[in-house]
Amino acid sequence: MATEFHNLQELRHSASLVNKVFVQRDYSEGTTCKFQTKFPSELESRVERTLFEETVKTLNNFYAEAEKIGAHSYLEACVACSTAYLVFLCMETRYEKVLKKIAKYIQEQNEKVYAPRGLLITDPIDRGMRVIEISIYEDRGSSGSSSASSSTSGSTAR
Amino acid sequence: MPGFSSGGVGGGVGGPASTPPRPFRPSRYVPVSAAALFLVGSTTLFFCFTCPWLSDYLSAVIPFYIAVVFLFTLANFCMATFMDPGVFPRAEEDEDKEDDFRAPLYKTVEIRGIQVRMKWCSTCRFYRPPRCSHCSVCDNCVEDFDHHCPWVNNCIGRRNYRYFFLFLLSLTTHIVNVFGFGLVFVLHHREQLDTAHAAVTMAVMCVAGLFFVPVAGLTGFHMVLVARGRTTNEQVTGKFRGGVNPFTNGCVKNISHMLCSSQAPRYVGRLRGPQKAEVQPPFLRPALTEAQLEAKVLDNGLQNDRHSNRSKSSLEQLESQSADVEPPPPPKPELRYPGLPRADTEESSLLTVAPPTPSMYKYRPAFNSPSKNHTAHAHPNKMMMMMRGESLDTPSPSILQSSRQPGYRSEPSSLDGAAAPGRGAGPRRGGGGGGERGEGPGGPVVGVHVGGVAAGGVSGYSLAGRSYTSYPSSLVLSAGGSYASSVRTAHTPHSALPTLQSEGTTDTSYKSLANQTPRNGSLSYDSLPTPSESPEFESAAHELSPPKPPPHCGFHAAAGAAVSPPPMGGAGGPLQGYTSPFLSAQIAQQREGQLFQGSASFSSPHRAYLRAVSPTPPSSGPPETHQLLQHSKDSAPWSPRASPPSFFPSSPPSSSSPRARSLEPPVSPPPRGPSLGKSQSYGAEAAGAGQPKGRPAGPGVPGGGPRAPQSTSRPGSSNHAISKPGGGVKKVTGVGGTTYEISV
Repeated sequence: MATEFHNLQELRHSASLVNKVFVQRDYSEGTTCKFQTKFPSELESRVERTLFEETVKTLNNFYAEAEKIGAHSYLEACVACSTAYLVFLCMETRYEKVLKKIAKYIQEQNEKVYAPRGLLITDPIDRGMRVIEISIYEDRGSSGSSSASSSTSGSTAR
Repeated sequence: MPGFSSGGVGGGVGGPASTPPRPFRPSRYVPVSAAALFLVGSTTLFFCFTCPWLSDYLSAVIPFYIAVVFLFTLANFCMATFMDPGVFPRAEEDEDKEDDFRAPLYKTVEIRGIQVRMKWCSTCRFYRPPRCSHCSVCDNCVEDFDHHCPWVNNCIGRRNYRYFFLFLLSLTTHIVNVFGFGLVFVLHHREQLDTAHAAVTMAVMCVAGLFFVPVAGLTGFHMVLVARGRTTNEQVTGKFRGGVNPFTNGCVKNISHMLCSSQAPRYVGRLRGPQKAEVQPPFLRPALTEAQLEAKVLDNGLQNDRHSNRSKSSLEQLESQSADVEPPPPPKPELRYPGLPRADTEESSLLTVAPPTPSMYKYRPAFNSPSKNHTAHAHPNKMMMMMRGESLDTPSPSILQSSRQPGYRSEPSSLDGAAAPGRGAGPRRGGGGGGERGEGPGGPVVGVHVGGVAAGGVSGYSLAGRSYTSYPSSLVLSAGGSYASSVRTAHTPHSALPTLQSEGTTDTSYKSLANQTPRNGSLSYDSLPTPSESPEFESAAHELSPPKPPPHCGFHAAAGAAVSPPPMGGAGGPLQGYTSPFLSAQIAQQREGQLFQGSASFSSPHRAYLRAVSPTPPSSGPPETHQLLQHSKDSAPWSPRASPPSFFPSSPPSSSSPRARSLEPPVSPPPRGPSLGKSQSYGAEAAGAGQPKGRPAGPGVPGGGPRAPQSTSRPGSSNHAISKPGGGVKKVTGVGGTTYEISV
């Protein structure tokens, strides 16, 4: 019994990276930052589709807000010009502010939704805003065989 | 900072994906130093010698005004010089798990209905986003790459274009000011021209006058570019000549976007974010019902069907026709992530499952061919195209079996939101099968199957499967008519792969080849004569001449598929080089058909391959490339030019990518196969477009005929057989002087 506890404790702390899924950019509307909301097949068994889509849609909204051209951006451009861009030394640009919001959102999503499901989302800015990288973890304790078999069966099923 | 990185500092900033340090090259700093010297030196002299008199004689406001303009110029100059233009960090290894040489060189994505090609960057290890280009001077991919400016020793890209433009404007204004007020001074001191003040003023005026012409010219040029929403790179490579620019929002919006959009963030050199959440088992799992599982098999979750995979229709047909399918080979163990199918890479997510052995994709013998095929089949969501190293030897059965897979034929699904529409369509990946068949000696036989099926314009899979190993590096694969897969031949030595790009399909050219020859074409003014990789856009329409009747009826691919040549489309007008890089969907489809023709059989040295004889020798690099692409499009698989004199006789080394010439968009959208859906994919369109005459879009030679003379100069316009070298072989001259032999 003590051995069992020991094993469980060991298992508890083992989660190994198994795969990475990359959610690509959606360029259908031009080069504005937008990610595809298509649900990757590798996540079929890991996370609910709605959760994933919700995350991606929220991210897309954030990016749209960052890139929006409106009064705020006009003002920022004027101020920057008039101060010979020295204002960039003290103030944060709008985009950077939104990126901070995004980082916070992703962190929160990871903690609440994805990490409990063995997934981790990487902030796209770390990848040059080209992809959203989702790392898939497996229970190492459950042994690679199960994950391998599940992935194999999953692949054949596809 | 890209501007002044020197010595080993260049790559130091940022995380693991930052650029490697570059050697210190003092010669790079000569123009920028000279520019800075002239600017600051001349202005200082002006202030010292001319301004005192101006403030006394005219007004004190004048020197103040000149000073403000000068400071504004200097600020913009510094920003343009030192600001990161939008450098992409190198992709990490995980993004590109599969071997390079098995990945297609191009990926197509649809932007506002126009097909745009994304090229694989072998240095940075990702598919370049639209408008991104790799600067060879800076050795970086830059977002919205405009050009590399030697005068600021920096690339001009998304982040610093605004400052560069304002620098040009303010510099022009400053030069005008200095010259004008210097002239006033000199005119008032006509009798004292021998004094130091007058002499210095005249010298400053000379410098100003000297620089005024080029600077003003450049300013005007960029004003036009901004109004049109183009980058220098696009303008110089003629991407949108005669075509539609999908990146423009109108003059006013372009200007406001350029000037007033929020400063884009830098990608390299960022501070690390907060700690990642800890992942610990046990993990929650969503409940999966039987229905879900079943649906999972059939539907890839494709939400947007816009792009209905171009090659879907052909794939579907192929699938339906495939009678016997071999069981897929066991999956190959994942190198990095043991136990996982290899298809789970960034690229694979982008690309539909690749066909097991598309000859066009494989440049080298695939190491993992069995697994590749398997993964291709195993993942319906994946693009059918086999990207990397599909074994060329996959026999036709693999194709058939791939056809069973509900895979996507082309990659668009992952590329664009729409994703290949065909994705979800159950066992429709006939097209994929077609592609797969590329390899193997049984090409013609296989092609028959595929050809017939590929009515839907499946992206180009070569009809005649030939093992890639026999391909020379410069093989040009054009997907057979109905197969819309973009065929990108690996053209390693020239780094210009004249692959045609079918809708959403990854080119067959291979990343491996691209990786071998890192061509970072940066479009600096220095290199304008030989634009580097720019033409990623396929200028479809323009380059194609008005539809011509298929020159050779013999556009029968070895596979025997009769593909009606895609209509030449509305005459895009004679186009030289890269005309409109963006293909309308229709064109894309047409091209697919053509691609299909020119595919795989490329390796076949025999006459069995159709080749379009290009009537006009390429006039310049890009046109040649385009022509080549067109050739590939027009002709069914044709023997690689490389084996004989280089296929692209004059394709300049720098002109990279064999961007598929834009195909002429058909005048009216050709009827599409059922699976085409709305997206204007090359494949579907090609298949459909290719057949204005109602011929089923067979794989192989759909548009070969009409497409062949797509270059503006179509002297021979010939799709007609020029000669009959062998028994039953017609020669057709394609664009760029390529000769295609079509077996009759």
